[in-house]
Amino acid sequence: MILTGNKIRDEVCAGKITVEPFNESQLSTNSYDLRLGYKYLQYKSGIIDPKKRHAYDIHDIPEDGLQLESGDFLLSESLEVIGSNNFVPIIHAKSGTARAGLFVHITADLIDIGSIGKVTFQLYATLPVKIYPEMLLAQVSFWRPEGAITLYKGKYQNSTGPQPSKTYLDYV
Amino acid sequence: MILTGQEIINSINSGDITISNFDCSRINPNSYNYLLGNEIKVFSEKDTDGSPKFDTIILNEEGYVLRPGSMYLGVTDEIIGSSLYAMSLIGRSSMGRLGLFLQISANLGHTTSSHQWTLELHAARSIRIYPKMPIGQVSFWKNDGDVQCLGKTYALYNRPTERLPT
Repeated sequence: MILTGNKIRDEVCAGKITVEPFNESQLSTNSYDLRLGYKYLQYKSGIIDPKKRHAYDIHDIPEDGLQLESGDFLLSESLEVIGSNNFVPIIHAKSGTARAGLFVHITADLIDIGSIGKVTFQLYATLPVKIYPEMLLAQVSFWRPEGAITLYKGKYQNSTGPQPSKTYLDYV
Repeated sequence: MILTGQEIINSINSGDITISNFDCSRINPNSYNYLLGNEIKVFSEKDTDGSPKFDTIILNEEGYVLRPGSMYLGVTDEIIGSSLYAMSLIGRSSMGRLGLFLQISANLGHTTSSHQWTLELHAARSIRIYPKMPIGQVSFWKNDGDVQCLGKTYALYNRPTERLPT
Protein backbone atom coordinates (compact mmCIF):
# COMPACT_ATOMS: atom_id res chain seq x y z
CA MET A 1 0.00 0.00 0.00
CA ILE A 2 1.14 3.49 -0.88
CA LEU A 3 0.88 6.37 1.58
CA THR A 4 -1.18 9.44 0.77
CA GLY A 5 0.26 12.93 1.03
CA ASN A 6 -1.60 13.55 4.29
CA LYS A 7 -0.25 10.28 5.71
CA ILE A 8 3.31 11.25 4.70
CA ARG A 9 2.87 14.54 6.62
CA ASP A 10 1.51 12.65 9.68
CA GLU A 11 4.41 10.16 9.65
CA VAL A 12 6.99 12.96 9.26
CA CYS A 13 5.43 14.66 12.32
CA ALA A 14 5.45 11.31 14.19
CA GLY A 15 9.15 10.82 13.35
CA LYS A 16 8.57 7.65 11.31
CA ILE A 17 9.61 9.30 8.04
CA THR A 18 12.60 11.63 7.69
CA VAL A 19 12.28 14.55 5.26
CA GLU A 20 14.65 17.37 6.16
CA PRO A 21 13.95 20.18 5.51
CA PHE A 22 10.20 19.46 5.35
CA ASN A 23 7.95 21.94 3.60
CA GLU A 24 4.23 21.22 3.49
CA SER A 25 3.90 22.94 0.10
CA GLN A 26 6.00 20.13 -1.45
CA LEU A 27 3.42 17.47 -0.54
CA SER A 28 1.29 16.09 -3.33
CA THR A 29 -1.54 13.59 -3.29
CA ASN A 30 0.66 10.47 -3.12
CA SER A 31 4.20 11.79 -2.79
CA TYR A 32 6.59 14.47 -1.64
CA ASP A 33 8.45 16.65 -4.16
CA LEU A 34 12.25 16.62 -3.96
CA ARG A 35 14.44 19.53 -4.92
CA LEU A 36 17.80 19.33 -6.67
CA GLY A 37 20.78 20.09 -4.44
CA TYR A 38 23.90 22.06 -5.29
CA LYS A 39 26.54 19.59 -6.51
CA TYR A 40 26.99 17.29 -9.48
CA LEU A 41 29.48 14.53 -10.19
CA GLN A 42 30.85 13.51 -13.54
CA TYR A 43 33.03 10.47 -14.22
CA LYS A 44 36.20 11.10 -16.17
CA SER A 45 36.54 9.65 -19.67
CA GLY A 46 37.31 6.02 -20.39
CA ILE A 47 35.51 2.72 -20.14
CA ILE A 48 33.84 2.29 -16.75
CA ASP A 49 34.82 -0.96 -15.06
CA PRO A 50 32.61 -1.88 -12.07
CA LYS A 51 35.54 -3.79 -10.54
CA LYS A 52 37.63 -0.62 -10.29
CA ARG A 53 37.21 2.82 -8.77
CA HIS A 54 36.59 5.26 -11.65
CA ALA A 55 37.94 8.82 -11.35
CA TYR A 56 35.42 11.66 -11.19
CA ASP A 57 35.05 15.40 -10.58
CA ILE A 58 32.51 17.17 -8.39
CA HIS A 59 31.29 20.66 -9.34
CA ASP A 60 28.72 23.20 -8.18
CA ILE A 61 25.58 23.52 -10.27
CA PRO A 62 25.74 27.17 -11.37
CA GLU A 63 22.99 29.42 -10.02
CA ASP A 64 22.07 30.37 -13.58
CA GLY A 65 21.73 26.70 -14.51
CA LEU A 66 23.68 23.82 -16.01
CA GLN A 67 22.98 22.96 -19.63
CA LEU A 68 22.74 19.22 -20.31
CA GLU A 69 22.85 17.87 -23.85
CA SER A 70 21.20 14.77 -25.21
CA GLY A 71 23.15 11.72 -23.99
CA ASP A 72 24.74 13.46 -21.00
CA PHE A 73 24.93 11.39 -17.81
CA LEU A 74 25.87 12.74 -14.39
CA LEU A 75 25.11 12.19 -10.72
CA SER A 76 23.60 14.79 -8.44
CA GLU A 77 21.88 14.97 -5.07
CA SER A 78 18.58 15.86 -3.52
CA LEU A 79 18.53 18.97 -1.36
CA GLU A 80 16.52 17.01 1.22
CA VAL A 81 17.72 14.23 3.50
CA ILE A 82 15.08 11.51 3.29
CA GLY A 83 14.46 7.98 4.51
CA SER A 84 12.42 5.83 6.86
CA ASN A 85 12.85 2.96 9.28
CA ASN A 86 9.21 2.03 8.76
CA PHE A 87 8.31 2.55 5.09
CA VAL A 88 9.97 1.87 1.73
CA PRO A 89 10.71 5.02 -0.33
CA ILE A 90 10.56 4.91 -4.14
CA ILE A 91 11.98 7.72 -6.28
CA HIS A 92 10.23 9.05 -9.37
CA ALA A 93 10.79 11.95 -11.72
CA LYS A 94 8.26 14.73 -11.55
CA SER A 95 6.12 14.41 -14.62
CA GLY A 96 7.40 17.77 -15.88
CA THR A 97 11.02 16.57 -15.56
CA ALA A 98 10.22 13.44 -17.57
CA ARG A 99 8.42 15.47 -20.24
CA ALA A 100 11.64 17.48 -20.61
CA GLY A 101 13.39 14.17 -21.45
CA LEU A 102 15.35 13.88 -18.21
CA PHE A 103 15.70 10.62 -16.29
CA VAL A 104 16.31 11.16 -12.54
CA HIS A 105 17.38 7.55 -11.90
CA ILE A 106 18.65 4.71 -14.07
CA THR A 107 16.33 1.80 -13.26
CA ALA A 108 17.17 2.04 -9.53
CA ASP A 109 14.13 3.64 -7.96
CA LEU A 110 13.90 1.54 -4.81
CA ILE A 111 15.40 2.76 -1.51
CA ASP A 112 16.09 0.32 1.32
CA ILE A 113 14.25 0.66 4.63
CA GLY A 114 16.65 2.31 7.07
CA SER A 115 18.66 4.13 4.41
CA ILE A 116 18.70 7.80 5.46
CA GLY A 117 20.48 10.42 3.38
CA LYS A 118 20.40 12.67 0.38
CA VAL A 119 19.21 10.79 -2.70
CA THR A 120 21.83 10.42 -5.43
CA PHE A 121 20.06 11.29 -8.66
CA GLN A 122 21.27 9.51 -11.78
CA LEU A 123 20.58 12.20 -14.37
CA TYR A 124 20.40 11.11 -18.00
CA ALA A 125 19.26 13.60 -20.61
CA THR A 126 17.50 12.51 -23.79
CA LEU A 127 17.07 16.10 -25.00
CA PRO A 128 18.86 19.38 -24.29
CA VAL A 129 17.66 20.45 -20.82
CA LYS A 130 18.80 22.95 -18.21
CA ILE A 131 18.88 22.17 -14.49
CA TYR A 132 19.03 24.62 -11.57
CA PRO A 133 19.92 24.25 -7.90
CA GLU A 134 16.83 23.97 -5.68
CA MET A 135 14.51 23.22 -8.62
CA LEU A 136 11.63 20.82 -7.97
CA LEU A 137 12.96 17.79 -9.86
CA ALA A 138 11.73 14.50 -8.46
CA GLN A 139 9.28 12.96 -6.04
CA VAL A 140 9.40 10.27 -3.41
CA SER A 141 6.54 7.95 -2.51
CA PHE A 142 6.39 5.73 0.58
CA TRP A 143 5.16 2.12 0.67
CA ARG A 144 4.09 -0.06 3.57
CA PRO A 145 6.25 -3.18 4.03
CA GLU A 146 5.11 -6.69 4.94
CA GLY A 147 7.26 -8.72 7.35
CA ALA A 148 9.98 -8.23 9.93
CA ILE A 149 12.19 -5.23 9.17
CA THR A 150 15.98 -5.38 9.02
CA LEU A 151 17.40 -1.90 8.58
CA TYR A 152 19.85 -0.91 5.83
CA LYS A 153 23.52 -0.87 6.83
CA GLY A 154 24.98 -0.49 3.36
CA LYS A 155 27.76 1.44 1.74
CA TYR A 156 25.73 4.56 0.90
CA GLN A 157 24.32 5.27 4.39
CA ASN A 158 24.17 8.95 5.47
CA SER A 159 24.96 10.23 1.97
CA THR A 160 25.53 13.98 1.98
CA GLY A 161 26.29 14.63 -1.69
CA PRO A 162 26.30 12.80 -5.02
CA GLN A 163 27.79 9.40 -4.24
CA PRO A 164 29.72 7.59 -7.00
CA SER A 165 29.20 3.87 -7.42
CA LYS A 166 31.05 1.66 -4.96
CA THR A 167 30.66 -1.60 -6.86
CA TYR A 168 34.44 -2.09 -6.63
CA LEU A 169 33.88 -2.92 -2.95
CA ASP A 170 32.02 -6.05 -4.12
CA TYR A 171 35.26 -7.38 -5.61
CA VAL A 172 37.84 -6.74 -2.86
CA MET B 1 2.68 -4.10 0.27
CA ILE B 2 6.32 -4.79 -0.47
CA LEU B 3 8.00 -7.74 1.24
CA THR B 4 10.90 -7.14 3.60
CA GLY B 5 14.09 -9.15 3.22
CA GLN B 6 13.10 -11.44 6.09
CA GLU B 7 9.68 -12.05 4.49
CA ILE B 8 11.39 -12.92 1.17
CA ILE B 9 13.45 -15.55 3.06
CA ASN B 10 10.30 -16.89 4.76
CA SER B 11 8.51 -17.11 1.40
CA ILE B 12 11.42 -19.01 -0.16
CA ASN B 13 11.28 -21.48 2.71
CA SER B 14 7.50 -21.90 2.27
CA GLY B 15 7.80 -22.26 -1.53
CA ASP B 16 5.81 -19.10 -2.33
CA ILE B 17 8.90 -17.54 -3.97
CA THR B 18 11.39 -19.34 -6.23
CA ILE B 19 14.96 -18.06 -6.59
CA SER B 20 17.45 -20.62 -7.90
CA ASN B 21 20.90 -20.72 -6.25
CA PHE B 22 19.42 -18.61 -3.45
CA ASP B 23 22.12 -16.96 -1.33
CA CYS B 24 21.11 -15.25 1.94
CA SER B 25 24.01 -12.81 1.64
CA ARG B 26 22.30 -11.19 -1.35
CA ILE B 27 19.17 -10.28 0.64
CA ASN B 28 18.63 -6.52 1.09
CA PRO B 29 16.17 -4.83 3.50
CA ASN B 30 13.40 -5.07 0.88
CA SER B 31 14.80 -6.85 -2.20
CA TYR B 32 17.19 -9.53 -3.45
CA ASN B 33 20.29 -8.95 -5.63
CA TYR B 34 20.24 -11.09 -8.77
CA LEU B 35 23.23 -11.92 -10.96
CA LEU B 36 23.84 -11.42 -14.67
CA GLY B 37 23.66 -14.61 -16.72
CA ASN B 38 26.51 -15.40 -19.12
CA GLU B 39 24.68 -14.98 -22.43
CA ILE B 40 23.93 -11.65 -24.11
CA LYS B 41 22.55 -10.65 -27.48
CA VAL B 42 24.16 -7.82 -29.42
CA PHE B 43 22.38 -5.92 -32.20
CA SER B 44 24.04 -6.64 -35.55
CA GLU B 45 21.90 -5.26 -38.37
CA LYS B 46 18.41 -4.64 -39.61
CA ASP B 47 16.65 -7.57 -41.22
CA THR B 48 14.97 -7.10 -44.64
CA ASP B 49 11.69 -6.30 -42.85
CA GLY B 50 13.39 -3.67 -40.69
CA SER B 51 13.43 -5.73 -37.48
CA PRO B 52 16.67 -6.00 -35.52
CA LYS B 53 18.96 -9.03 -35.82
CA PHE B 54 21.15 -10.05 -32.90
CA ASP B 55 24.39 -11.99 -32.43
CA THR B 56 24.69 -14.16 -29.35
CA ILE B 57 27.79 -13.73 -27.21
CA ILE B 58 28.87 -15.89 -24.29
CA LEU B 59 30.54 -13.77 -21.63
CA ASN B 60 33.87 -14.94 -20.25
CA GLU B 61 35.85 -13.74 -17.24
CA GLU B 62 37.34 -10.80 -19.16
CA GLY B 63 33.84 -9.38 -19.52
CA TYR B 64 32.38 -7.43 -22.40
CA VAL B 65 32.16 -3.67 -23.05
CA LEU B 66 28.70 -2.23 -23.70
CA ARG B 67 28.72 0.95 -25.79
CA PRO B 68 26.25 3.83 -25.56
CA GLY B 69 23.54 4.19 -28.16
CA SER B 70 22.57 0.54 -28.55
CA MET B 71 20.46 -1.87 -26.56
CA TYR B 72 21.71 -5.29 -25.53
CA LEU B 73 19.66 -8.19 -24.24
CA GLY B 74 20.85 -10.06 -21.19
CA VAL B 75 19.30 -12.51 -18.78
CA THR B 76 19.19 -13.12 -15.06
CA ASP B 77 21.42 -15.97 -13.91
CA GLU B 78 18.64 -17.12 -11.58
CA ILE B 79 15.19 -18.51 -12.17
CA ILE B 80 13.01 -16.00 -10.33
CA GLY B 81 9.28 -16.31 -9.78
CA SER B 82 6.32 -16.47 -7.47
CA SER B 83 2.84 -17.99 -7.50
CA LEU B 84 1.72 -15.58 -4.77
CA TYR B 85 3.45 -12.23 -5.31
CA ALA B 86 3.97 -9.77 -8.16
CA MET B 87 7.54 -8.75 -8.85
CA SER B 88 9.49 -5.63 -9.77
CA LEU B 89 12.84 -6.25 -11.42
CA ILE B 90 15.18 -3.26 -11.46
CA GLY B 91 18.88 -2.40 -11.53
CA ARG B 92 21.04 -1.99 -8.45
CA SER B 93 21.64 1.62 -7.52
CA SER B 94 25.37 0.85 -7.79
CA MET B 95 24.87 0.06 -11.49
CA GLY B 96 22.52 3.01 -12.07
CA ARG B 97 25.27 5.21 -10.60
CA LEU B 98 27.49 3.88 -13.41
CA GLY B 99 24.88 4.74 -16.03
CA LEU B 100 23.64 1.23 -16.83
CA PHE B 101 19.93 0.70 -17.49
CA LEU B 102 18.82 -2.87 -16.66
CA GLN B 103 15.46 -2.64 -18.37
CA ILE B 104 13.65 -0.13 -20.53
CA SER B 105 10.75 0.94 -18.27
CA ALA B 106 9.31 -2.62 -18.09
CA ASN B 107 9.97 -3.63 -14.50
CA LEU B 108 6.75 -5.52 -13.73
CA GLY B 109 6.90 -9.29 -13.33
CA HIS B 110 3.56 -11.02 -13.25
CA THR B 111 2.47 -13.36 -10.51
CA THR B 112 2.83 -17.04 -11.61
CA SER B 113 5.81 -16.27 -13.90
CA SER B 114 8.95 -18.18 -12.97
CA HIS B 115 11.94 -18.16 -15.29
CA GLN B 116 15.21 -16.42 -16.15
CA TRP B 117 14.17 -12.85 -16.95
CA THR B 118 15.40 -11.06 -20.06
CA LEU B 119 17.17 -7.79 -19.26
CA GLU B 120 17.32 -4.79 -21.60
CA LEU B 121 20.77 -3.29 -21.10
CA HIS B 122 21.41 0.29 -22.21
CA ALA B 123 24.61 2.08 -21.29
CA ALA B 124 24.83 5.85 -20.81
CA ARG B 125 28.64 5.45 -20.78
CA SER B 126 30.85 2.63 -22.06
CA ILE B 127 30.93 0.02 -19.31
CA ARG B 128 32.39 -3.45 -18.87
CA ILE B 129 30.06 -6.19 -17.67
CA TYR B 130 31.00 -9.57 -16.25
CA PRO B 131 29.12 -12.87 -16.02
CA LYS B 132 27.60 -13.54 -12.58
CA MET B 133 28.09 -9.96 -11.43
CA PRO B 134 25.41 -8.75 -8.97
CA ILE B 135 23.62 -6.41 -11.35
CA GLY B 136 20.04 -5.86 -10.24
CA GLN B 137 17.38 -6.26 -7.60
CA VAL B 138 14.00 -7.93 -7.50
CA SER B 139 11.27 -6.97 -5.03
CA PHE B 140 8.06 -8.83 -4.25
CA TRP B 141 4.62 -7.27 -3.79
CA LYS B 142 1.43 -8.60 -2.21
CA ASN B 143 -1.60 -8.86 -4.45
CA ASP B 144 -5.08 -7.58 -3.71
CA GLY B 145 -7.64 -9.84 -5.44
CA ASP B 146 -7.77 -13.35 -6.88
CA VAL B 147 -4.68 -14.37 -8.84
CA GLN B 148 -5.49 -15.79 -12.26
CA CYS B 149 -2.82 -16.29 -14.89
CA LEU B 150 -4.18 -14.72 -18.09
CA GLY B 151 -1.52 -16.19 -20.35
CA LYS B 152 2.25 -16.33 -20.64
CA THR B 153 4.52 -15.34 -23.50
CA TYR B 154 8.02 -14.23 -22.51
CA ALA B 155 7.72 -16.04 -19.18
CA LEU B 156 8.23 -19.26 -21.17
CA TYR B 157 11.81 -18.27 -22.07
CA ASN B 158 15.02 -18.68 -20.07
CA ARG B 159 17.47 -17.04 -22.47
CA PRO B 160 17.81 -13.44 -23.68
CA THR B 161 14.74 -13.09 -25.86
CA GLU B 162 13.98 -10.28 -28.30
CA ARG B 163 10.47 -9.14 -29.18
CA LEU B 164 8.46 -11.93 -30.77
CA PRO B 165 6.38 -11.41 -33.93
CA THR B 166 2.80 -10.50 -33.01
